[in-house]
Amino acid sequence: MRHCSACGVDVEGPWTRCPLCATALTGQAAPGPFPVVPLRFSRRRVLRMLALASIAVVLVSFAVQLLFGRDPAGIGVLRSVILGVGSMWLVVLMAVGTRRNVAKGTVYLVVLTGLVCVYWDYLTGWHGWSLAYAVPIVCACSVIALAVTVRVMRIEVGEHILYSALTVVLGLVPLVFLALDWVRSPLPSAICGALSCVVLALFLLARGPEMRHELAKRLHL
Amino acid sequence: MTRRAWVRLDNASNIFLAARNDIDPKVFRISAELDHEVDPGLLQQALDATYERYRLYHAVLRRGVFWHYLQDSDLRPCVTLEDQHTCAPIYRPDRRELLFRVMHHRRRIILELFHALSDGTGALWFLSDMVEAYVRLRHPRQVPGPGQVPAQNDDPSDAPAAGGPGSASAGNPHTEDLVQTVHELTTDSFTHYFRRRRRQEPAGADADAGARRPAPVPADRPRNPRRKPRTKVYRVTGTRTPDNRPRTVELTMPADQALQLARAEGVSLTMYLTAVFFESIRLSSPGLGRARTLVASVPVNLRQFFPSTSPRNFFAIVRVAHTYDETTPDAADPGPVSRELERRFRPKATPEALEKSLRRLIRFERMPVLRIVPRPVKDVLLRLINWISNRRLTVAVSNLGRVTLPEPADSHVRRMLFHVSAVRPQFCAMSHAGLLTISFTSPFTQTDHIREFARTLTSRGVDVTVAAAQVTEDELKESRR
Repeated sequence: MRHCSACGVDVEGPWTRCPLCATALTGQAAPGPFPVVPLRFSRRRVLRMLALASIAVVLVSFAVQLLFGRDPAGIGVLRSVILGVGSMWLVVLMAVGTRRNVAKGTVYLVVLTGLVCVYWDYLTGWHGWSLAYAVPIVCACSVIALAVTVRVMRIEVGEHILYSALTVVLGLVPLVFLALDWVRSPLPSAICGALSCVVLALFLLARGPEMRHELAKRLHL
Repeated sequence: MTRRAWVRLDNASNIFLAARNDIDPKVFRISAELDHEVDPGLLQQALDATYERYRLYHAVLRRGVFWHYLQDSDLRPCVTLEDQHTCAPIYRPDRRELLFRVMHHRRRIILELFHALSDGTGALWFLSDMVEAYVRLRHPRQVPGPGQVPAQNDDPSDAPAAGGPGSASAGNPHTEDLVQTVHELTTDSFTHYFRRRRRQEPAGADADAGARRPAPVPADRPRNPRRKPRTKVYRVTGTRTPDNRPRTVELTMPADQALQLARAEGVSLTMYLTAVFFESIRLSSPGLGRARTLVASVPVNLRQFFPSTSPRNFFAIVRVAHTYDETTPDAADPGPVSRELERRFRPKATPEALEKSLRRLIRFERMPVLRIVPRPVKDVLLRLINWISNRRLTVAVSNLGRVTLPEPADSHVRRMLFHVSAVRPQFCAMSHAGLLTISFTSPFTQTDHIREFARTLTSRGVDVTVAAAQVTEDELKESRR
C-alpha cells in the first residue's frame, strides 16, 4: 500500500498523490475498493427548464389573443395558426410527461383539448361548436379508446381504474350542457352521455370494490 | 384479481421525498468486504432468498392525492456490477422501480437504498441476512445448520463508546427464529409508539434503556430551550463536484485505538469523532469569522428504546452544537469539545426526551388542517422546512456502531462500510471485525476537513488507511493512466 508521509496515512488505490493533501506517495500501489466511474452529465434540468419556458410562451400567446377583436377579418388565419401550433405543442409535452401512464395521459388529453376548444370557440365569436361537437366527441372517444387500450396493453386494474372512471365522469359533462340548453344540436351530447351512463353502470357493477380500494388508497388522509 | 398491499409512508420518510435533489438523492449504502472476490451467481441466489423474506423491499413508491404510499410489486431485484458512483439516485417519480439495489465490486457486497424505504439499522438487517445466505452458499461445508446460529450479541459492553444512543446495535431481532421471519408491509413504528397518548412504557424498553445509560440525567438539570448559541452557524462551502457525485473518502482504523481515545476523555465514540470533525472543520476553514457555532445532526436509532422489528425508518435527529470563542488554539484538541458535546447530547438522547419531541412532531403531522393539504403543497412546505433547518447545520454524523454478523458470515467479512449522499460534509461510521470505518461524503471536491481529521487521529497514534473515489476530471484521467 502507498503511504503519505505528510498525513501519516496509508492509501489504497491507484493514487500517485495523497487524495487528502496532494503530497507525492511512496511505496507500491494496492488495488482500491472503488471502480473508476466516468463522469456522467444529465440534461434533465435543461430539458425541464426548456419545457417550462415553452409552456409559458404558449400560455402567453394564448392570453394575447384576448387583445384582438373577435372579428375574423382581423387576424383570422394567423389566430388559428397560433392556437393550432400552441395546442399541438401542449399536447406533445403532456404526452411526454405522462408517457409512463397511458390512462393518466388520456384524462389529461381530454381536459386539455376540451379547454382549448372552448377557448378557441370563445375567441372566434362563440358559435357553440366546441360544446355541441368537440367536447362530446372527444369525451366519448376517450371512454372507448381507454377501454380498448387497457385491454390491449394489459394494464393492471389498479393502475387504470381511477383514470377510466374519470374519463367516464368527464363523459357525463355533455349531459350538463344538454340540461342547461347550451347546445344547438343535441345529438353528440346525447350519444356521449348515454354511452357514459352505460359504461358507468357496468363499471359500478363489475369494478365497484376495486374502485373503492383504489380511492381509499389515493385519498387516504 | 390482484389487489396489492399498500401502506402510507411514515413520518420520517416524507421529508426524504421532499428534500431530495440532484446533489443529495437521499440514498445510502452499506457494504461488506469479504475475504474473497464476490461470486455474482451465488450473490444473486442469496439476494433472491433474502428478498423473499422482506416484503417491505418489494415495495414501489406511489403518489396519492394527500400522501405518498408504498405498494407491493412483483419486481425482482438483480445483482449488478458496481458501475455508478456511490449513492447514485434510486427513486424516480412515476416509475415503478424497486427502492434498493444490490451490487458487487471485487470483494465488496453493496446494498444501496432510497432512505424513504428504510434506515441504516433496517438496511443492516437485510444486508446481514443476505451476506449470511451468501457465505452459506459459498462455504457449504462449514455451515452450522439453521437454528444453531449463535444469537446476536447486542454488545452493551462497549457503551458508552459504540453502544451509545448515537449508534445502532446490529442486533438482528429475528436471528433466533431466523429463516422464518417475514417483514411485512406494516404500519410504521412512529405511529405505533407515538401517535396515541399512552403513558405506559413498552415492556422491557425501560429496563433496557436504563441499562444502556451509564449516567442517568439529573432531574434538576436546568433545561432552557432558549439557551441557543447566539452566534451564526458556520456552514462549509466549496467547489461542487462536476457531475454531482459525492466526494467519498473512507478512513479505516483499528477500532480499539479510536475507542481508547474516546475512553480517555470519558465520552462516547460518536461524540469524540464529532468533536474531531468540528476541530477539522475549524482548522480547514479560512477562519470561522462571525459564524463561530458548529452544529452537527446525529440520528438516534429509536429501536433501542422502543423495541421494533420493523425495518422501516425509525430514528430521531438530535442536534449538538459547539461555539468556539476567539481564544481557541491553532492545534486540534478534540478533548474539551467532545466532553461538552457529550454533556449536551446525553439529556437529548434519553427515551423521555425523544418521546416528547416525537409526539409533538407527530401531533403536528396529524393536524386535520395539514392532512387535507394536497401532497404537492405538502412537498413544498416540507422542502421549505428542510431548507430552513439546513441553514442551521454545519455537518452531519451517523454511527451504526459495532456490528456482529451471524456465523458463518462474520468470520468471512472484514470491514463494513456505511456511506450516505450528502448535501453538506458528513461522515458515517461503523465497525466490524475490529476495524472502524469512517466514510466521509461531501458535495464539494475539497478534502481539507478530511485531511485534518486524519491527521488529528494519526498524530494520536491511530493507524489510518485512506481509500478515496475519483471525482474530478483530473483524478479520473490519472487513474486511467
